[in-house]
Amino acid sequence: MVLKRFTLVPVLLMLAGCNITVLNPKSATGKDQAFLIWFSFGLMLIVLLVVFFLFFRFVATYRYTDKKANFIPEDVHGNKWLELTWTILPILLLIVLAVPTVAITYNQSPISEVLKKDEAVQIEVEAQQYQWTFTHEGGKTSNQALVIPEGKTIRLQLKSKDVIHSFWVPALGGKVDVMPHKDLYYEIKNPEVGTYHGKCAEYCGLEHAKMIFTAKVVTEEAYEQYVKE
Amino acid sequence: MQISMFNQTFELPSDVLAAWIFTIIAGGFVLLYVIKKKKLPLIWDYIRTTNHRKIGTLYILFGVVYFLRAGLDAVFIRLQLAFPDQSFWVFQQEKYNEVFTTHGTIMIFFSAMPILLGLMNVAVPLQIGARDLAFPFLNAVGFWLFFFGALFFNLAFFVNQAPSIGWTGYAPYSLNEYTPGVSTDYYVFGIQLSGLGTIFTALNLIVTIFRHRAPGMKLTRMPLFTWASLITSYLILIAFSVLAVALYLLMFDRLFGTAFFSGSEGDPVYWQHLFWIFGHPEVYILALPAFGIFSDIIPTFSSKRIFGYPTMVVSLALIGFLGFTVWAHHMFTVGLGPMANTFFALTTMTIAVPTGIKVFNWLFTIRGGLLRMTAPMLFALGFIPSFVMGGVTGVMLSVSAADFQFHDSHFVVAHFHYVIIASTIFGIFGGIYYWYPKITGYRLNEKLGKWHFWLFLIGFHLTFLPMHISGLQGMPRRVYTYGADEGLTGLNFTSTIGAFVMGAAVSIFLWNIVITHRRGVTVGADPWNGRTLEWTVDSPSPEHSFDPMPVVDQMDPFWYAKQEKRQLAICANPRPAPPDEQSMIPISMGLSLFVLAAALTYSLYWLAIAGGVGIFVLMAIRSWTDRTIIEEEEEA
Repeated sequence: MVLKRFTLVPVLLMLAGCNITVLNPKSATGKDQAFLIWFSFGLMLIVLLVVFFLFFRFVATYRYTDKKANFIPEDVHGNKWLELTWTILPILLLIVLAVPTVAITYNQSPISEVLKKDEAVQIEVEAQQYQWTFTHEGGKTSNQALVIPEGKTIRLQLKSKDVIHSFWVPALGGKVDVMPHKDLYYEIKNPEVGTYHGKCAEYCGLEHAKMIFTAKVVTEEAYEQYVKE
Repeated sequence: MQISMFNQTFELPSDVLAAWIFTIIAGGFVLLYVIKKKKLPLIWDYIRTTNHRKIGTLYILFGVVYFLRAGLDAVFIRLQLAFPDQSFWVFQQEKYNEVFTTHGTIMIFFSAMPILLGLMNVAVPLQIGARDLAFPFLNAVGFWLFFFGALFFNLAFFVNQAPSIGWTGYAPYSLNEYTPGVSTDYYVFGIQLSGLGTIFTALNLIVTIFRHRAPGMKLTRMPLFTWASLITSYLILIAFSVLAVALYLLMFDRLFGTAFFSGSEGDPVYWQHLFWIFGHPEVYILALPAFGIFSDIIPTFSSKRIFGYPTMVVSLALIGFLGFTVWAHHMFTVGLGPMANTFFALTTMTIAVPTGIKVFNWLFTIRGGLLRMTAPMLFALGFIPSFVMGGVTGVMLSVSAADFQFHDSHFVVAHFHYVIIASTIFGIFGGIYYWYPKITGYRLNEKLGKWHFWLFLIGFHLTFLPMHISGLQGMPRRVYTYGADEGLTGLNFTSTIGAFVMGAAVSIFLWNIVITHRRGVTVGADPWNGRTLEWTVDSPSPEHSFDPMPVVDQMDPFWYAKQEKRQLAICANPRPAPPDEQSMIPISMGLSLFVLAAALTYSLYWLAIAGGVGIFVLMAIRSWTDRTIIEEEEEA
């Protein structure tokens, strides 16, 4: 029955390869995040395999059998070198993980002053129980449907009218909370054409599950036209 | 269904009606059983008891009852999510929000916590050669505060006012403006009351462990479960104080018009900081005792001492300490900025190191041992790979930029169920099987125990492994439905099947308890060939234990004495035992605070004052009649 659990692991890996939204991102932002997910998963898989290997080996080797009925195991108090090994190796592993973590976290955190100068597409996102309002430059607004141009940096300025919500388009990147008391910013870089599910990811009340929208990435021309409509 | 009473009409949904009917019928049967078997004197005894084993038993009993209730909530959640666009019974919208709120809150505060405190109550004094906790009276007060806090919280459902703010109670949603009415107040006061009791018990354990160890039981010879209980108690002391502050502020915002978490001066993020400064250590409050349980079970059933005892203690302490430095990893997406996010990402990663040390030390305890596959040992072994699976997703979550994807999705749901079930719940089951003889005198059936373990393990992985993927597929947590076109159907259906397998496992556990008591075959003091002091006293442990008081000369003293075929040395003049007494004051104190909480919830201030006066009067009575003080004065 132990084996049953083992067979699930390759199933998981197989599934991971095909069609999982977050792991097949449609923007540069999402790709950086997917890289981190795969990278950390790979590192952790090493840990997992070592533990599984030792665990099943030890359990299989040292389990009680009637032959060993009178056997009294030798006491082992510990082993300085072994214990140092499994202190230092994980630290090294974590340093390897920490470097891209810090780099990408800084890279993906927009700083509001810098933001105003560059050439990103600005969109104001306003959330309230249970709907989304998107305001484009030039004043065009829409509900429940976010339209953005491909290949650009999209800068979202998010604010809530009531409780905390969270803006999430899994295919395009991570989520960012929408707070009632201050504006937050989030950037989606280089999105690809397509229509994606968008959701509220912070529990906000009765119809939290239905607080969904669609995010449509269109060509630049189509976007220009959309904003003018 | 609508009911008219006191000139008011109440809405009574079918789930609440079903709960009333079920409770009345079940209550009737329990009453019948009690009267028929003449158990009333026993109940009367337990109501007034201050004995550590009896209070521990009560903690575990009610913890298990609430575990079943919150488990039923989980089944409703899974049934509602079994298919896309599904409508199971009443569990959509408001009802779904209530059911995940009560599931989380009850599992953590009214099930996992009390059962762990119960196991500590039973085992810690016996492990260190104490005749009771240092303050038996306070121990009883702590229990009754938990009892009435939990009762208060659970009553909300019966009046159709179950809170629906999530177990995290995020402001501003938890403020009056968005959740008017009394439901959120049930959350505030229910947790506040039981949290107060938890703080008392933590203080009690700390003093007990420092002051009431048997002669020769140095800190460096203490069993690891006692060590874990000691460190956990410190965590409780700090974390639950913060929670109490957070709940007070929320109470003031809700009842008395302050604005700590809203308006121009307040800030909803303050709540998140306070909640997670409590909430993250809480994870370790749940996990460390379980680590302690496994650290006792694994050497016992490997017939081999723990590998690297000093490192095991140090890593417990390190996990406890680091646990206070990571809270904002629950808040990566609230806009704290890259500086804070990377800081908390790195501190979170460091926790993996002491945790990893523990895992490898357990593995090397097994190595070279003789593994007896008893039910407690199976839970301890099942814990290792399962918990590591949850641990590695924890490290993945600490990667702050990637967490923007994981956050508040089913991936997180999978992660925390993996760590909490694999450590706390496996630990609780393992601990109950292990110490059941000390609590009742009976040993639970081993064969059913094994069925319980394997079904639970399979069900657990079947439920939560797919959630990693449904999270990455884009399923947020706390949603009552999802679309058929989102590729979530198969994953969710698998989870639902898993939940039923877990349910079946728990039913076997309950059946095991029933038939064990029906058969009534008692076991001796040492049914497992144990190593530590609790196996030297009778099963169940007597009210006056350790007479004569043993002297401890090394770690695992009982094991080595048995190996060398000698008796433990005896101490002629042990430290005086804590006073043993019976009192109605603890339950009355709990009741007064219950009245206070109920009165504040419904703004009946005259009644609140009565409850408050009641508690002070009871304190005064206690001060005048405290037998220990009177006796000390007489001696002086």
